[in-house]
Amino acid sequence: MSGPKLVSILRQGPHLIASIHTALDDTEMERFREDLVEQIGRHRSRGVVIDVAALDVLDSFGARTLRTIGEMARLRGAVTVIVGIQPDVAFAMVSLGMDTGTVATALDLEEGLAFLEGSGARRSGAGRIGAPAARAVPR
Amino acid sequence: MTDHEHHTAPAGTAPVSPEYLYERDDEHQLLPQLVAHLREHRTRLRQEWAGRIQQSGLLRAMTPQEMTVETTSVYDNYVEVLETGSVEALQRYARDLSERIIPRGVETHEVVGIVLLLRDVLARSLFEKYQLDFALLNRVLDAYEPAANRIAITVAGSFVDERERVIRQQQDSIRELSTPVLPVRERLLILPIIGVLHSERARQLTEQLLAGIRTHRAKVVVVDITGVPDVDEAVANHLVQTVDASRLMGASVIITGLSPEIAQTLVTIGVDLSKMDTIGDLQGGLEEAERLLGYTVTRDSGMASP
Amino acid sequence: MVRRVIAARVADAATVDDLVQETLVRVLAAAGRVEPGMLEPYAIVTARNVVTSQWRERDRHQRNQHRVVDLRPSAAVDEDLLAREERDAVAQALTRLSAQERDLLLAHEVSGRDTRSLAGELGSTAGAVAAQLNRTRARLRVEYLLSVEGVEPPTDRCRPVLLALSGGDRRRQREVDAGRHLLECGSCARLSQPLMERGQPREDEVRVRVESDADIVAARQAARELASRLGFSRTDLTLIATAVSEIARNIVRFAGSGEVLVELLEHPHQGVRVVARDTGPGIADVERALTDGYSTYDGLGLGLPGARRLMDEFAVVSEMGRGTTVTMTKWRTGR
Repeated sequence: MSGPKLVSILRQGPHLIASIHTALDDTEMERFREDLVEQIGRHRSRGVVIDVAALDVLDSFGARTLRTIGEMARLRGAVTVIVGIQPDVAFAMVSLGMDTGTVATALDLEEGLAFLEGSGARRSGAGRIGAPAARAVPR
Repeated sequence: MTDHEHHTAPAGTAPVSPEYLYERDDEHQLLPQLVAHLREHRTRLRQEWAGRIQQSGLLRAMTPQEMTVETTSVYDNYVEVLETGSVEALQRYARDLSERIIPRGVETHEVVGIVLLLRDVLARSLFEKYQLDFALLNRVLDAYEPAANRIAITVAGSFVDERERVIRQQQDSIRELSTPVLPVRERLLILPIIGVLHSERARQLTEQLLAGIRTHRAKVVVVDITGVPDVDEAVANHLVQTVDASRLMGASVIITGLSPEIAQTLVTIGVDLSKMDTIGDLQGGLEEAERLLGYTVTRDSGMASP
Repeated sequence: MVRRVIAARVADAATVDDLVQETLVRVLAAAGRVEPGMLEPYAIVTARNVVTSQWRERDRHQRNQHRVVDLRPSAAVDEDLLAREERDAVAQALTRLSAQERDLLLAHEVSGRDTRSLAGELGSTAGAVAAQLNRTRARLRVEYLLSVEGVEPPTDRCRPVLLALSGGDRRRQREVDAGRHLLECGSCARLSQPLMERGQPREDEVRVRVESDADIVAARQAARELASRLGFSRTDLTLIATAVSEIARNIVRFAGSGEVLVELLEHPHQGVRVVARDTGPGIADVERALTDGYSTYDGLGLGLPGARRLMDEFAVVSEMGRGTTVTMTKWRTGR
């Protein structure tokens, strides 16, 4: 990728921290997915935090791509947590009928990392954040 | 600006005044004369005015002492406007007075009423004083009336402005109160919803809750809908979307006080209630919230730890 | 009557501008086909006045913008081949007007008659005369462009569309579905450029060409930016942007190319309307495409039901083989 970095993927211990810095188009989003999944495999990561705080829109394609990342990461033995979904973005996502599927969500990077630390236990309490939604039905 | 010192000041020392009061030489001489007259008979005229107010049943919310203080101030301000032609001091005083009496239920017509009464009391005293010289009386009244009208407009205007400001302020605080997001303790928010939920209010509520989650870094939200009579399908749907959106932000939502009617509406629109965390009452909801936050196990950062 | 008035102005007009006079002579010499009498030379002056004054107007508004066609007269104009072509084009454009239209235009533009006195003469109202003049000017601009570009409109629909654009009449533009026609008709798309740049730049609409992934992002950002001027809440802005993202993606995936037009509405409430058009294959069963579960990431109609949930009003018109138009609106208040 040339120019200012659209995304960054950093290693922190057994985890990867992936941050999206700006609005991505579909092609860039797919490249991000490929890069991230490849790095999960290469580093044998146990957890992945995807920080989407900079996104002002998460449409069906964006949400779907995040879910796909989560599923592919799980196949490689890593837990994924999406952090930083903005209030208005969260509302637009559910209005659209999208969610993050089985992928966990947390408020921000700090919470996301805390979730990964605690997720080994994977028990009740805060570990259940991002449980499958009740799903609103279209009007 | 107080004029108590000047009560006995000789006429003719009035400062330079706006043209409207002194368009004619007449006024130049008459107004100072008039001011001197009103100062001379200050006590009697003020008492007469207060008596008329009482007779008319205005300002019943005030005690006799308050009445004395306020009527004296208004009277002095009134005379000062006649003297200087500047309504600024009167305006300030009227605002200040309005602020004090509006919460006590004083109405616009009362304020207009007392100012008109004062105008009337003073006009009568001028009538008495100059009744033998009809031509002079006419000129005195010509000088007095425009100034008196301007004073009445100033006072009434100040009162209405102040009243509107107070009403706006009250509306704002009611709006805030209608959807209070209460941080009960670290990471825990309560959203008690009371009253009828229509679409617009539901929308505001959602925006406030989601913003509140971010601001308070909430991990658990208890939404208590005990006080909501019933909801239509659109609002029920909105409620569910709010729960889902909160989850996307990493917060768990517990619904308490779900009435059978609302539960039915939720089922009708296809919501899987088993996937919503619902608990009978607020107390139970708070206990569950604390359990989720791990308070019963450890009181550290609220992280889930075994 | 009109002719008499004009005839009375001959001397004046001739002395006003030697340059114009020379132009007239040349046009007369070159154009045996023009209408009889003295009318035509003045018609040409009029036409030039009309066209160039329109351009001056545009010049004021868009001083720094690149001009597609520069019609301003210059000192060198008569030496120039382009200028001659322009003259011919004006002359030809005038022949396309009806005699009545021409007379009215000349009386107003050349003789300086005001709309009220013309209305009295015609037994009409000043407003109606002004409207008629506007329509005539619009036609003249269209005919001039067709002539100067040497284009014969390929379809019956071209002239009505160009006229609607030239007149700046948005209602009429919608009636003739001008946006769709411009997507379909290459020559009109080209001719429409100077017509649409004429007049005031529109501040309450934005048009985004959509044919690649990056355009999806551009379209939703443009929609958010425009809608934010109406004071929509952040949540509403995100709903609008997300809906635009969905329908713009539909265009890229299923039609290849199209456009997204975002416009601000004032009536009956403040709001924002998004019109997405494409020239794709069309949707066979719109009802089904709007049903949840039908749309998949591989199928036709992706995102339509989702986008519909985000907006207040939503309509899809699709014609097989011609394309799809999605119109959706979000109102700012009053809900």
